[in-house]
Amino acid sequence: MTEFIQQTITGLMTGSLYSLVAAGIVLVYKSTHVVSLAHGQLVAFGALFFWLFLSGLGLPFWAGLIPAFILTALLGLAIERIALRPLIGQPLIAAFLMTFAIFIALEGIFVLYLKGETRTLPHFLPEGNFVLGNISVPINQLIGFCVALLLFAAVSLLFRYTKLGLGMRATAEDHRLAQSTGIVVKNIFSYIWILSGIVAAVAGIATANVMDIYYMLPYIGINGLIVAICGGLDSLTGALLVGLLLGVVENVGAAYLDPLVGGGIKDVAGYVVLLLVLLIRPYGLFGLVKIERI
Amino acid sequence: MRPCGVFDKSYALDIAIIRTWQHWTILILSLLFLYLFPLFGSYYLISFINLLSISAMVVLGLQIVSGLCGQISFGQAAFMAVGAYTSSILTIHYGLSFWLALPLSGIVAGCVGIIGGAPSLRIKGMYLAMATIAIHFVVIWLILHTEITGSFKGLYPQPPSIGGFEFDTDERMYYIIMSVLIIMTYAARNLMRSKVGRAFVAIRDNDLAAEVMGVNLYYYKLLAFFISCFYAGVAGSLWAHLITVVNVEQFTLLHALEYVGMLIIGGMGSIPGVFFGVLFIRVLNELVMFASPALAKALPWLGSSPAASLGLLAFGLAMALFLIFEPRGLAHRWEIFKASYRLYPFAH
Repeated sequence: MTEFIQQTITGLMTGSLYSLVAAGIVLVYKSTHVVSLAHGQLVAFGALFFWLFLSGLGLPFWAGLIPAFILTALLGLAIERIALRPLIGQPLIAAFLMTFAIFIALEGIFVLYLKGETRTLPHFLPEGNFVLGNISVPINQLIGFCVALLLFAAVSLLFRYTKLGLGMRATAEDHRLAQSTGIVVKNIFSYIWILSGIVAAVAGIATANVMDIYYMLPYIGINGLIVAICGGLDSLTGALLVGLLLGVVENVGAAYLDPLVGGGIKDVAGYVVLLLVLLIRPYGLFGLVKIERI
Repeated sequence: MRPCGVFDKSYALDIAIIRTWQHWTILILSLLFLYLFPLFGSYYLISFINLLSISAMVVLGLQIVSGLCGQISFGQAAFMAVGAYTSSILTIHYGLSFWLALPLSGIVAGCVGIIGGAPSLRIKGMYLAMATIAIHFVVIWLILHTEITGSFKGLYPQPPSIGGFEFDTDERMYYIIMSVLIIMTYAARNLMRSKVGRAFVAIRDNDLAAEVMGVNLYYYKLLAFFISCFYAGVAGSLWAHLITVVNVEQFTLLHALEYVGMLIIGGMGSIPGVFFGVLFIRVLNELVMFASPALAKALPWLGSSPAASLGLLAFGLAMALFLIFEPRGLAHRWEIFKASYRLYPFAH
């Protein structure tokens, strides 16, 4: 039983990272209806920028955080301005394919910069374990978990109570209707990509906190995409809950099933969950069910 | 758009793919050229064309499922892997001849493709694309975790032989690959204008409307996946016996993304577009490979071997530019060019 609880808690820690990555994807989808495959690259670049300021320039923690946020937000803005804005009015699948072109191009830059090496962030969070009975959790992961929860709360509040959030919700509902009420939809798109860039930077820093920055880091975006789709693409609650759930499923599944099949459950659990969810509830667990008309 | 003075006087003429004697001459000359090419082509060019032809087969399959039927699939690399592994296992462990294993691997890949395409009955568009990405990873995971596929080590199939004649060099494999490619291109071109092809196009344009008009969605969507994966499986089988090494490193998600990129750059829904797209991406890749040592010398901060990452960068940028400036791909440009030279002295 203790092992089960331990695995579940470790899974929750990993899951909070997935939720963070998925949050950015959900944000973009909510108002622009574009599913961003490129988000994994934003996450990876967020981590890389932070590493550059922290290790490369030797800045202290807080001083490194702000420029990393700004640079990642600018990258998100550049993606929206240069690549996605010309596609407004085209079928949505074109925008999806565009984000995947961006993914590949940025992957090229990322690999070019890393040159096959790995980068490790210096320890900027307190070390040690938080122990309760037989269960122990690394404190830095616990902090990452709390940051994820806080971020979700902040974004939800932004959506619920600010004028900007109101504009974003209106845009999500209907682009043309929003425009006719005086909301500048194009600006909303820019704001949302900036916001998504900042969320991606947080996710990237939280991820780089527990693993190295290496060429596979951008592929966490695919895990984020799995979470976002399983949760329903337009639901922040879904992203949070499914992300945590996926982390737990991966960890517990790996602990109990790996001896039976010879390992590797962690690599495939997410995809199996995705296929099952898509077959049973095509619009995700918390998503809005759309009715189609000819 | 056809040249002035060409009329269809009978039904046979109306349904002919090749209409004029000029077309026949070009066709026969180019077939002769293709089959005589190994006599005077360099080894490098021949291996390059082998690679092009195998990619073209995979993308032809993708054209049928994505370009014609509108179901975006990122699983093509995995289905190619299924074909390659089936063919290798059949020839190595069961002693089957390559000539039997080639169609069988296509059929096995097609059946796996039906399972892979099953989500398309409930979901579409971007959701389906994600589902095929998931299927890609599940297939690769299964290959890595079964005994018979040799896991990480991979398999080493033999080159095919007939009588005592071994097809053990690129020049000799060229004839097999080229013949299969020509048959498959003809089949795909013909499929487009058959009842099945029209049903696919109807599903692509509006699946609900197609269903209302009496197109059986389940049957045709699964058929599209079967045909597309059959193409990928045959290509995988040829690839396995050409390279004589099969491992999962050859079938990554990036490969699958590359095939989709070729499709977009070539143009969705057009058979010549497949060849334009494959040629464009492969030549671009070769150019980057060729230029990168010089670039690395001129710009030391690029590192010692920037070829792979520069290739990715060039590919991503090319795809983005095509999506913005020519979403209908090179095939559309080719149509414009054809129309303009047929009308030559006149503008319209």
